[in-house]
Amino acid sequence: MHSLIQISIAVLLLPLLSFVILIFFNKRLPRRGDFVGVGILGATFALSFYIFWSVVVQSYDPSFRIAWDFTWIDFGNVPGVGPLQIKMGIVIDNLTAIMLAMVTLISFLVHLYSTGYMAGDPRYGRFFAYLGIFTFSMLGIVLSDNLFSIYIFWELVGLSSYLLIGFYFEKDTAADAQKKAFLANRVGDIGMWLGILILYSQFHTFNYQEIFQNLADGKFDMSEAWLTAAGILLFMGCVGKSAQFPLHVWLPDAMEGPTPVSALIHAATMVAAGVYFVARIFVLLTVDALHVIAFIGAITAFMAATIAITQNDIKRVLAYSTVSQLGYMVLGLGVGAYSAALFHLVTHAFFKACLFLGSGAIIHAMHHEQDMRWMGGLRKHMPWTFATFTLATLALAGLPLTSGFMSKDAILAGAIGFANAEGGGIYYIIPFLGFFSAMLTAFYMGRQIWLVFFGESRTHLKPADDHHHGHDAHGSHGHDDHHEEVHGVHEVAWNMRAPLVILAALSIFAVYSPDPLDGAKGWFMKMIPTPETVVGSASGKAEHGTSSANHNAAHLLAEAVPAVGHSAETDAHHEGVASEVIHEEDSHAAGHGDGHGPEFSDPRQAAIAHEAHDAHKLAIVISSVMVVLGISLALIVYVFRFVDPDRTARAIRPLYLFSFNKWYWDEIYQATFIKGSIVISKVLSWFDANVVDGIVNGAGALTRRVGFATGGFDKYVVDGAVNFTAFFFNTSGAVLKKLQTGKVQTYVVLLMLAVIVYFIYYFTQLIY
Amino acid sequence: MEILTNIGLNHYLTISALLFGFGLFAVMTRKNAIVILMGVELILNAANINFLAFSKFNGGMEGVMFSLFIIVLAAAEAAIALAIVINIFKLFKSVDVSAIDTMKE
Repeated sequence: MHSLIQISIAVLLLPLLSFVILIFFNKRLPRRGDFVGVGILGATFALSFYIFWSVVVQSYDPSFRIAWDFTWIDFGNVPGVGPLQIKMGIVIDNLTAIMLAMVTLISFLVHLYSTGYMAGDPRYGRFFAYLGIFTFSMLGIVLSDNLFSIYIFWELVGLSSYLLIGFYFEKDTAADAQKKAFLANRVGDIGMWLGILILYSQFHTFNYQEIFQNLADGKFDMSEAWLTAAGILLFMGCVGKSAQFPLHVWLPDAMEGPTPVSALIHAATMVAAGVYFVARIFVLLTVDALHVIAFIGAITAFMAATIAITQNDIKRVLAYSTVSQLGYMVLGLGVGAYSAALFHLVTHAFFKACLFLGSGAIIHAMHHEQDMRWMGGLRKHMPWTFATFTLATLALAGLPLTSGFMSKDAILAGAIGFANAEGGGIYYIIPFLGFFSAMLTAFYMGRQIWLVFFGESRTHLKPADDHHHGHDAHGSHGHDDHHEEVHGVHEVAWNMRAPLVILAALSIFAVYSPDPLDGAKGWFMKMIPTPETVVGSASGKAEHGTSSANHNAAHLLAEAVPAVGHSAETDAHHEGVASEVIHEEDSHAAGHGDGHGPEFSDPRQAAIAHEAHDAHKLAIVISSVMVVLGISLALIVYVFRFVDPDRTARAIRPLYLFSFNKWYWDEIYQATFIKGSIVISKVLSWFDANVVDGIVNGAGALTRRVGFATGGFDKYVVDGAVNFTAFFFNTSGAVLKKLQTGKVQTYVVLLMLAVIVYFIYYFTQLIY
Repeated sequence: MEILTNIGLNHYLTISALLFGFGLFAVMTRKNAIVILMGVELILNAANINFLAFSKFNGGMEGVMFSLFIIVLAAAEAAIALAIVINIFKLFKSVDVSAIDTMKE
C-alpha cells in the first residue's frame, strides 16, 4: 500500500474518532471536549496538507493517480445478477488532494471558530461531535473510488446535514428545515441510485475507472439514450445535494442551523459535493446530459441571484448567493469547463466560508440579530470582520485580483466557448444568464456590504414586535436584547477572527495563479485538466461539423469587441503553450495551428476548448463590465441614494414580490407536490378506509358468519351428541341402578336367571 | 331292591341334581351367611358327584382328578369365605346377608 494511501486512511478515520469520543464522552471532558475536535481536525488538516503537498506540489503531474481497494462484501454468484462483489477503495489524484486539503482546512477553521460562536450552548459538545461525523462523511465522498461507497458517504453527509440544520430542534422552523432538506435530498438521491443501477446493470462494477474503461471500450449495450438517462439520473444526486433548480428550496431554509454549520456544510463543502460528484463522472456524460446540466446550472445561477437581491436576512442573501454560485459550477461542468468549475468550487468554498463566518461574527456581535435592515455602521466596531468580509465579497462579486474573478471568468469563458461551438442561438442563453447573474451578484453583495457595515446603526428603527412576525424564523437561541446595544457591538475574539483572516487570504489571486487575469496559468487549472470524454465520439463528430461551420462567425464575434487585440490574444496563447507541461506531444489540434491548452481527440471537446480559449478575453471584459455595473448600481441605490430602493420596489412591485417571495417556489411546491401528496394521501386514505377496510371488515363479517355456523353445529350437533350420551347413560344408569340392591342373594337369583335364559337359548338353538 | 344293585348314571345325576337344588335353595333363601356357605358346599359336592359319575361311566380318570381339585379348592374356599364372614361380622355385628346392603346403588 502506498504511504499516501495509508495517510489518507488516517485522514478519513480521524474525524470519525473525534465523533466517537465526543458523542459518548463530551460531558465528562473538560470544556465539553472541544479541544478534542479542534485538535483532531488540526492533525487531520496537517496530514491532508502533507498529501496535498506531495501530490500537487511535489509531483506536479496532472495525471497523478494512485488507487487502492479491497473487497468489502463478496456475495458470490447471485442468481439473476451474476458475481456480485462490493469493493471499497480510495483513489488519490490531484482533485482528491486539493479537495482533502480544502475540506479539512475549512473544517478545522470552523471547529476553531465554533469554540467562540457556540460557547455556552447547552449542546456544545454534541455540536463538535456532529461536525466530526460530517467531516468524516465528506472525506469519504472525496476519497471514494466507486459509486457504491460514494453513495454511502453521500447519505452520511445528508444525515450530518440533517442533524446540524436541526441543531436547535426546539424551534419548529429548524425542525421543519431539517426535514425539508432531508426530503429534497432524498428526491435527488433516488435518481442518483437509479443512475448507479443503470451503470451497474451494464458493467457489473461500481468502480469509476472500470466503468470509464468499459465505456471507452464500447461495452455499453443499450442505446445512447440510456447512457444519457444514467448521466442525468446521476446528476439528480447533484441537483439535490448542490441545491440546483428545482430542488434548491432546501438550502435557504437550511440557514436555520448554526452559522458555522452554514459555512462548513451549506456553503463550502457538502453542497459542493454534488459538483465534485458530477466532476468525477464527467467523462461518462453524454452531450445531451451535459446540455441538461448546463441549462439547469444557468437557470439556478440566475434565479438564485434574482432572489438574493431582495432578501433581508443576512444569511439568506448568502444562501441564495451560494445557490447561485453552485449554479455557476454546474453550468461550468455542463459547458465542459471542467477545470474552471472545480476551480470555482475551491475558490468559492474559501470566500463563501469566509462570508458565512463573517456573518456569524456579525450575528454574534449583534446578539443574534440577522436582519440587515436593522444593522448598519458596523465598520467602525468590527474592523477585522469588515476587512475580511469585504475581501471575500469582492471575490464573490468577481472583481479582478481576487480568486473569484479568475474562476468565474474561466467558467464564463467556457460558457461563451460552448455557445459558440454549439452554434445555436438558444445556447447563448447560458453565457447571457451567467453574465447577468454576475452583475446581480455584484449588486446584492454591494447592497449587503452597505447595509451591514456602512451608514449609521439602524438598530433603534426596528419595530418592537418585528422579531415575532417574519423574523423569529431565523431568530435567536437565547438572549433577546436587540433593543439597547450597538454599544454592545464589538470585534470578536481571536478564535473567531483567525479563521476569517486565513479564509480571506485564500481569496487572493496570488494563491492560485501568478496572473490575476488568467486562472489557466495557475497551478490549479494545470493540475486539474479537463478529462477526455469516453462517450459520444459519434455525436461529437456530428457536432464538430456544426462547430467548424460556426467557428469563423464565433471568431468574428470574439474579435468584434474592440478592447481585445488579436495579437495580445495570440501572445497569451503562446505563453499558455509554453508553460503547458501536460501535453507535450504534438496533438492533432483539430484543424487550427496554434494549440490552446489541452488537446482533445473528441472533436466536440476540442472545439469547445478552442472556442473557450478564444473567448477568454471577451469574458474578462464582459464580466468586469458586469461587475462594475452591478457595484455602481448598488452604489447608486444605496450610497448616493439617486434612486430610493423602497420607492423602486413599490414601482415594480410585482417583480419585487416575485423576487422577495423566492419566485414562489415554496408556494408552488406547496400547491403542487405537497397539496398533491395530501390529495393522493386522502384518496389513498379513502381507499384504505373504504376498500381495504371493507375487505378486512368483510373478511371479519364472513368469519363471524362462519363462526356462528360452526358454533351452531358445535352447539347443537357436537354438544347434542355429547349431552345425549350423557343423558342416555344417566337414564339407563337410573334404571339399571335399581338392580343394584346390595343384596347378594338377588345377584344369585339374577345369575341363575341368566344361566337359565342361556340354557333356554342354547337348547332352542339345538332344536332348530 | 333292584334299584339298589343296579345303579346307573341317571341315579348319580339325579342325586347330584337334587343336591345342587338343595344347595341353590339354601344359597338363595337363607339369611345366615354361614348357611349360605353350606349351600355353596352342597353345590360344589353336587358338581363332584357329577364329575365322578361321568368318570366312572366314561372310563377315564380325568373326572377323579377334577373332583380332587374341587375338594381342595372347596377347603380353600371355605377357609377364605369364613374369614370374610368373620370380618363382615366384625364390621356389621351381624351375618345376615339381607342386612348387609351398603353396596346398594
